[in-house]
Amino acid sequence: MLMIRSIVRPTKVDDVLAALMEAGFPAVTKVSVVGRGKQRGIKIGEITYDEIPKELLITVVPDADKDFVIKTVIKAARTGDKGAYGDGKIFVSPVDEVYTISSGIKETASGETEEVKI
Amino acid sequence: MKEVMAIIRMNKMNLTKKALSDAGIPSMTAKEVLGRGKGLVDYSLLEGAEKGYEEAIAQLGQSQRLIPKRLLIVVVPEKLVQLTVKTIIKVNRTGKSGDGKIFVMPVRDSISVRTSENGDSILDEA
Repeated sequence: MLMIRSIVRPTKVDDVLAALMEAGFPAVTKVSVVGRGKQRGIKIGEITYDEIPKELLITVVPDADKDFVIKTVIKAARTGDKGAYGDGKIFVSPVDEVYTISSGIKETASGETEEVKI
Repeated sequence: MKEVMAIIRMNKMNLTKKALSDAGIPSMTAKEVLGRGKGLVDYSLLEGAEKGYEEAIAQLGQSQRLIPKRLLIVVVPEKLVQLTVKTIIKVNRTGKSGDGKIFVMPVRDSISVRTSENGDSILDEA
């Protein structure tokens, strides 16, 4: 299992969510965040804005679907054909275990499932 | 050490906080988030849509709305992972879909900003 955290423009969130739904990955968590990138924010005249609002989308997917999901997000979140500064970043990190609270079913990275006794 | 990230119902927040601190895991970070899951598939609705009932078709694309949830982040030493997960499951389970998910992820190191100590000693000990 891998956790894919994508930081995207707030205006592109609806596109990304629709693209993920279409691609068969409906489960997403969305967090509003502020941040800056390598360009040190945006400078407009005298003022530098270094807390730019972005949306953080969290999805957890099987290892095999990683590239497909990343491609889907990139395709939906990029502005224009070439993209622009501020389109965002995608981070991938490992997840050892996933528990579904309603059923108590545990899934491990190796694909085994078992029910947790509480 | 492991990071336990749980997405739970908003109205279970206080119960979860209490249960975790009773279990000896008082430290955590919480955030209001929006989310959606795999989504309920109501088969009677699908059947109705197939037969061409307009009410059923109108209700079809409604399930992808984002629902307000709470995101809990707890970093615990290896031996407390099972206790944390079980405590969260016990409090939050209603058996219906939408109860949430728990993700367990590896963390390389944690450092206390106040004392600049690192390692398991700055985390909760049960």
